[in-house]
Amino acid sequence: MLQLKNISKSFPGVKALHDISLEFKPGEVHALCGENGAGKTTLMNILVGNIQPDEGSIFLSNKKIGVENIQVAQGFGISIVYQERSLVDSLTVAENIYPVNQPLNRFGLINYRQLYKQTQALLDELQLTHLSPVTKVEDLSSSQKQMVEIAKALAQDPSWLILDEPTASITNKETEILFSIIRKLKAKGVAVIYISHRMAEIKTIADIVSILKDGIFQGSYDAASTPVDIIIAKMVGRDLQQAAYISHKQKEVALEVKNLSGKGFSDISFVLHKGEILGIAGLQGSGRTELALAIFGDIPFQNGKIIEDGISIHPKHPADCINLGMAYIPEDRKAQGLFMEQAISDNIIAAHPGKGLYNRRESHAVSESYRVKLSIRATHVQQKVQKLSGGNQQKVVLAKWLHTEADIFIINEPTHGVDVGAKAEIYSELRKLTAEGKSILLISSELPELLLLSDRIAVMYKGNIQGIIEHDNANEENITAMASGM
Amino acid sequence: MQLSKYLRERVVSLSAAILLLCIIMTIVYPSQFATVENFSQVLLNLSIDTIVAVGMMVLMIAGMFDLSVGSVVAFAGGLAGYLMYYHDVNFLLAIMAAIAGSLLIGLANGLLIAKAGINPMIQTLAMMGIVRGLALMLSGAGIQNFPYEFIYIGQSKLLGLQAPVWYMIVIVGLFSFLAAKTKFFRRYYFIGGNERASKLSGIRVEKMKIYAFILSALLAGIAGILLSSRLGAALSTSGRGMELRVITAVILGGASLSGGYGKIVGAFLGALFMALINNMLIIGRVSGYWQEIILGIILIVAVGLDQWLLRRIEK
Repeated sequence: MLQLKNISKSFPGVKALHDISLEFKPGEVHALCGENGAGKTTLMNILVGNIQPDEGSIFLSNKKIGVENIQVAQGFGISIVYQERSLVDSLTVAENIYPVNQPLNRFGLINYRQLYKQTQALLDELQLTHLSPVTKVEDLSSSQKQMVEIAKALAQDPSWLILDEPTASITNKETEILFSIIRKLKAKGVAVIYISHRMAEIKTIADIVSILKDGIFQGSYDAASTPVDIIIAKMVGRDLQQAAYISHKQKEVALEVKNLSGKGFSDISFVLHKGEILGIAGLQGSGRTELALAIFGDIPFQNGKIIEDGISIHPKHPADCINLGMAYIPEDRKAQGLFMEQAISDNIIAAHPGKGLYNRRESHAVSESYRVKLSIRATHVQQKVQKLSGGNQQKVVLAKWLHTEADIFIINEPTHGVDVGAKAEIYSELRKLTAEGKSILLISSELPELLLLSDRIAVMYKGNIQGIIEHDNANEENITAMASGM
Repeated sequence: MQLSKYLRERVVSLSAAILLLCIIMTIVYPSQFATVENFSQVLLNLSIDTIVAVGMMVLMIAGMFDLSVGSVVAFAGGLAGYLMYYHDVNFLLAIMAAIAGSLLIGLANGLLIAKAGINPMIQTLAMMGIVRGLALMLSGAGIQNFPYEFIYIGQSKLLGLQAPVWYMIVIVGLFSFLAAKTKFFRRYYFIGGNERASKLSGIRVEKMKIYAFILSALLAGIAGILLSSRLGAALSTSGRGMELRVITAVILGGASLSGGYGKIVGAFLGALFMALINNMLIIGRVSGYWQEIILGIILIVAVGLDQWLLRRIEK
């Protein structure tokens, strides 16, 4: 049994963890829930030795252990799969899975043949047969990379495995593979600590769910028998109203795309009305993101037309589209949306077109108004974005584009890795936009999100739009079927 | 805690270090250090480097650097000298030709880096060699006997300070203002912070990069003309090793190799600090060999201290 006893940890200005005690049992899947900033990741970092607690200790089989760093944690059989990537793109899958402890030949050099053989055996065991040990990581999709991360953690044969948001970037099929791996580990007596925002997954795979809110333990519950609303209520500390579908769709057309073709998508046609949310569903690699980037002028398109307010446009650069009143909120906020080392205020004014002098006071005032409006949880707008939780970072990206006063918002995965509370706030902001007559092209992998928000849903498969479904006719089944080409 | 935060602001910590150095020197060598002549000499010595460092600071804020600046210094002086000496070209035309030549070098660097995607280190390393060769062809063993007007540019005095010092003050002042206050220059902080996000925020990153390399070469060209005017000679060896000296000053002044950080005035303070160390060693009659050793140690200590303070703050 692995126990955390009375763990407390403070960072300057915040008490991140407050007297937390938890225990993990072999053969049990223990889900850890909480909003972003609730302290889940900090707690796991303490467990693997990345951070030392101010108070409290860790016990393994009732013996107090000191976990000074991650190597020590691995010695105790504790492995972690982080949210952030830990792979080296230029090396092969096998080299990434075994960064140390490679098999050696009799000259003390790396025995590659053996390395590939044992990697293949591991991949086979994990049913990751679509991956090859000799493929370079840079050639993999982001979901395949995530599976390699998991394989890397399992290569250490852990007794305690921590998965931090493992399904955030993988496809449904891989999620199923992951779950079957977790079930096998469970049968072998491995304890799995599963951090996730996705209630459906927790219900499917977890035995016990423990909830943190603002660094305080809210209790452990039986995963199967506890209703989802109770778990969510404990996480957010208030009852979230389940927002209902509201349409602000007008007759007037804001954006029309005609027979657009480019790298990754072909012959795309649709109409986006004023005040409409047009959802775009599709699997990863279905061309959704490429289509969005082409409309936004980031990548070129070969054929077809983009018509905004009745005028055909030919964007060569995102700046052209911004001037035409478009906004693009990217899927990967850290890599594409934010300036992590810079202040919230600098981030918010980043996309605001303009020349002339930069007015520090004005930019602070503007940012402060967005901080209040979107309830971004930060002490002041000069704080670095890096210090914010995922949900608050996403709100900063949203604020940046609200500030440009765009009319057409292309939004890619608006709630990726965002907790339920922030999610609801983001949804309500999107609704406010459409109420003002602004249009949204909403790309999302989360079907409940698309079904809740969209007036119509276009489903993409292999670069084509398979069909556009009206809100009233859409459901998870028909979207999933179309998205997988059926 | 609060103190650590202030000390991480490099302009603050560097100013404090400079002040401390001056106080110590004034106490130990009052008659040699704290004189107008000594200070005007120190400023003169650092003025050329500082002008080049301003351009380097802009590049490093954007996450890039330029190794060809030292060669451009020699090239600009060489081209102006060549035209004036061998072809009797009017000094103003010669200066304009030298500036135009420098701009072209900057444009070539910028285009090849931003459009062709060559790594800045490789591109400017290659350009450093190419331009040094051109400078050698132009000035050979050195060109002297410049017209009086040309010499005047670098050797005149105003209010006890030599002309290059005044140019430096104007350039540092102008670019401090521009970098802090104009939306145009603030884009470089965004580019250095996250290039991909900059493009998706509508910043024309490629163009901005080209402008930055043109600016760097322009300032190096101006520095080259000032240097040859001050020396009264164009030497093909001018500016040798300057690129690393300037990068050292800029990093001491608060820039980081990955970009996103730095203030223009930091480039001046970095160069001033290095010049003062040099001055201290000369007054203290320490062997010149020590200068490089001490500067190397100071660079490591400064950056190491910064990391240490960062860890303290984050704890």
